[in-house]
Amino acid sequence: MLTEAPDAWTLPEAAHLLNRAGFGGNPREVKEFHGRGRKEAVEWLLAMEAPLDEVPVPGWAADEKAVLAQARERFAGMREGLRGLSAEEREKKRRELNQERQREQRQQSVDLQEWWFRRMVATKAPLREKMTLFWHDHFPSSVQKVRVTYLLYKQNALYREHAVGNFKELTRAVAVDPAMMLYLDTQTSKKGKPNENFSRELMELFTLGEGNYTEEDVKEAARAFTGYIVNRGTGQVTHQKFQWDDGEKTVLGKTGKFDGNGVIDVLFDQKACAEYLPKKLWEFFAYEGPSTELVEGLGQSFRDGDFEVKPLLREIFLSKEFYSSSAVRTQIKGPVQFLVGMLRQLELDGLPKVYTVSICQQLGQVLFLPPNVAGWDWGRAWINTNALLTRYNVAGFVTKGTDAEAIASGGGGAGGGGEQMMDRVRGMMRSVGKNWAGPDYDKLVPRELRGDSGELVKLLSFRLFQTQLEEKQRKTFEEYADAKRGVVFTNSEVAGLMHLMMSTPHYQLT
Amino acid sequence: MSDYLKTRREFVKTSVWGASAAWTVPMFLDRTFAEIDQKTRDLAVQADSGKDREILVVLQLAGGNDGLNTVVPYGDDAYHKARPGLGKEKKELIALNDRLGLNQRLGYLGELYGEGDLAVVQGVGYPNPNRSHFVATSVWETADPSAKSNTGWLGRYFDSECPGADPTVGISLKKTQPEAFGAEKNPGICLNTPELYRWMHAGGDDAMAEEMFASLNQPGEEASGSSIDELGKAGGKVGEDSLAFLERVALDAQVSSKRILEVAAKYQSRVRYAGTPIARSLNLVSRMIAGGLPTRVYYVSHGGFDTHQGQEGRHDNLLGQMDEALKAFFTDLKQQGNYDRVTVLTFSEFGRRVAQNASAGTDHGKGSCLFVAGGGVKGGLYGEHPSLTELDQGDLKHSVDFRSVYATVLEKWLKGNSQVAVKGKYEVMGFMG
Repeated sequence: MLTEAPDAWTLPEAAHLLNRAGFGGNPREVKEFHGRGRKEAVEWLLAMEAPLDEVPVPGWAADEKAVLAQARERFAGMREGLRGLSAEEREKKRRELNQERQREQRQQSVDLQEWWFRRMVATKAPLREKMTLFWHDHFPSSVQKVRVTYLLYKQNALYREHAVGNFKELTRAVAVDPAMMLYLDTQTSKKGKPNENFSRELMELFTLGEGNYTEEDVKEAARAFTGYIVNRGTGQVTHQKFQWDDGEKTVLGKTGKFDGNGVIDVLFDQKACAEYLPKKLWEFFAYEGPSTELVEGLGQSFRDGDFEVKPLLREIFLSKEFYSSSAVRTQIKGPVQFLVGMLRQLELDGLPKVYTVSICQQLGQVLFLPPNVAGWDWGRAWINTNALLTRYNVAGFVTKGTDAEAIASGGGGAGGGGEQMMDRVRGMMRSVGKNWAGPDYDKLVPRELRGDSGELVKLLSFRLFQTQLEEKQRKTFEEYADAKRGVVFTNSEVAGLMHLMMSTPHYQLT
Repeated sequence: MSDYLKTRREFVKTSVWGASAAWTVPMFLDRTFAEIDQKTRDLAVQADSGKDREILVVLQLAGGNDGLNTVVPYGDDAYHKARPGLGKEKKELIALNDRLGLNQRLGYLGELYGEGDLAVVQGVGYPNPNRSHFVATSVWETADPSAKSNTGWLGRYFDSECPGADPTVGISLKKTQPEAFGAEKNPGICLNTPELYRWMHAGGDDAMAEEMFASLNQPGEEASGSSIDELGKAGGKVGEDSLAFLERVALDAQVSSKRILEVAAKYQSRVRYAGTPIARSLNLVSRMIAGGLPTRVYYVSHGGFDTHQGQEGRHDNLLGQMDEALKAFFTDLKQQGNYDRVTVLTFSEFGRRVAQNASAGTDHGKGSCLFVAGGGVKGGLYGEHPSLTELDQGDLKHSVDFRSVYATVLEKWLKGNSQVAVKGKYEVMGFMG
């Protein structure tokens, strides 16, 4: 067990936990959270009291029968519509139908991204959403390959349900999750011709980590994951015995007539498996590169606790090390953390619909569209010159510290090839920018608190950084406030100041 | 603080103060400016500049490109036997000789081949290859088969062969900084939309905000530690590193921002590019080249090659998109008069298995082929086409080490020393001019 931290804690420590286990909060929320005391606060996070359906799902996702029937019709319609046509006409028709289906799926995937994003902003069970994001990154599937958006929604629900549940159970569920089966080709893996995709990633990325298995293990295990079929029309998964390779397989030294669960049992007996996920969780919540002792300790707890995630998270969040200077304000915010956190700090419930998707794309983290089966690269990989400037400009848009219209429409410049589609998108984005209301500054920073620049900067620092700043920065911000101050300090001047404060390397850390 | 960062800081001063006409530069600053020592000034300017020298464009085919359906050994029975559904017949190909043909969708590359401007390097790989996308990509990007290096082959080239502190020496158009750019000193920059590649702030008195922004976005005079107090201990190493990293990137962003904007405004291509991401990337590269950036290496990526199932059509389309984008790009360069200064090098983390799988796709394999294209290339076939029957665990054996390809490009094209970049001495091949 890691050494426990005392129950008494500081406000910045409370903010740290709320930032990492969730997406932060506004000053009032941080203070309330702090008031619970450390242990109570951790228990509150783990309890996840808000109902699973706290934010209503998009209409189409609410009706499983209807959405699947529609998908079925599309596939059937394609076959039907193609009958009796010449090869050329058939090609044309197929393309049309495909485009129609793609448009529909694209729209649904935008709805879904928007829905989850807003849910993260609104949630009263922040750890549940944070863990759902963790699982989405750990067991990723991309709408680009899966193509049936509804199945991604189902997968998301699975991760939410198992947010702090049992890792082994979740792994079993993932092996027969329709979206995953389509993403990693289990669907087409058959006796005699197994597809190695899922088998390989199961070992390399989901349970053991590179170097803890051989190529032979991958090939053998792939034979076990044959015969699993998902019905695209109903989303039902069945194991068809005649397409399953029922012969003996040898995986990591164990031999048996394994099916998928049999292989998973073998993997979970490995020492590497007990440590792989705890290390990843530690890096997700605390800091990168923990010591071997720390990882072994967590691994021991995890195995002893039969792969239950909840007690593991309790141990992490209560540990002294989690609040050490190696952890606090050392993490580079991921794009979702950056955006959701910003909205929560500014007491906004969302962004203009199209803009959410567009920003996530520009910043490099589109929900339901991870770059590959390893999920996103975290930490420094989020930041490069382009991403950093984009973040600063997004902050300018959200705060209205700059011309939202210009930013939304791509800087007002001529742009690449001047293609028609780009022009249309640009026009749409321009109107998004024009209509954006921004935060309610009268509420965030009441006018009576704007009199003194020092006090004002202090107030805003707590909201944005949950702590006071170093001398140089504080002075720069105060100087800016003094220079901008006319007879009164207007809302747009508050916006300008906040934008400057967010246009800093410091704001990228949490 | 390193000399390197000092130079960058001076650089920022030039860019920022030079830029704001409305902001009166106080006399003493003006003088300070003139007095920046000679060494610093030299460092800020890159000697071998992409403005007039050779340029390399690295094109990543992400996901593991199926080399056997890119450069097809149609004359080999073993190929058709291993790929009963996916195999391509001669009539579907652009024949290079009586054994090999290019995928039909590579029409433009076929033309280049005919003109002697396309080298096809076959059987490229390395010993004990890895089949993980991530490890294999790392190997190619770092030129280190143990995948343990934390610098990339291009980053080491920037550090060792491109003296100067100009961050635009390498520009990546990927979402993330490629591992190949990993460097001790100068890892280049990332760019997506030039018009947004700047800090935009509202308010009339822009110059003041600009200056404050500039000062907030660079490393402090002192080595920066964790700036946040109230937590008792002094900033730990990890925190120090994240912040120092962010500050360095922020500084690079400032240094490159103004120049990128200027360059992007200069040139508008008359060639029509497709709307695909790869075409848009190459369009942007052509604008940067036309605008005279000192950049010597551009990095673009084309993804989706992990064709485990339903490969036919999908794989062909991906190749078609690349071909179409390269056609627009090279046509554009010809119009600019820059065709002879630019070489494109493709790579992919691995090829695929010889035999197709049950899902009408192909699984991760090993050695594969790559293309080197451009006016400076001596076209033709290089390396041996690997045997389809003498396999290594179902995979092709490689005959050319990928580091030889890198070494050739570095020595013969960029005219630099390759040994630091590729970590050793590798045979230089004959495909560059």
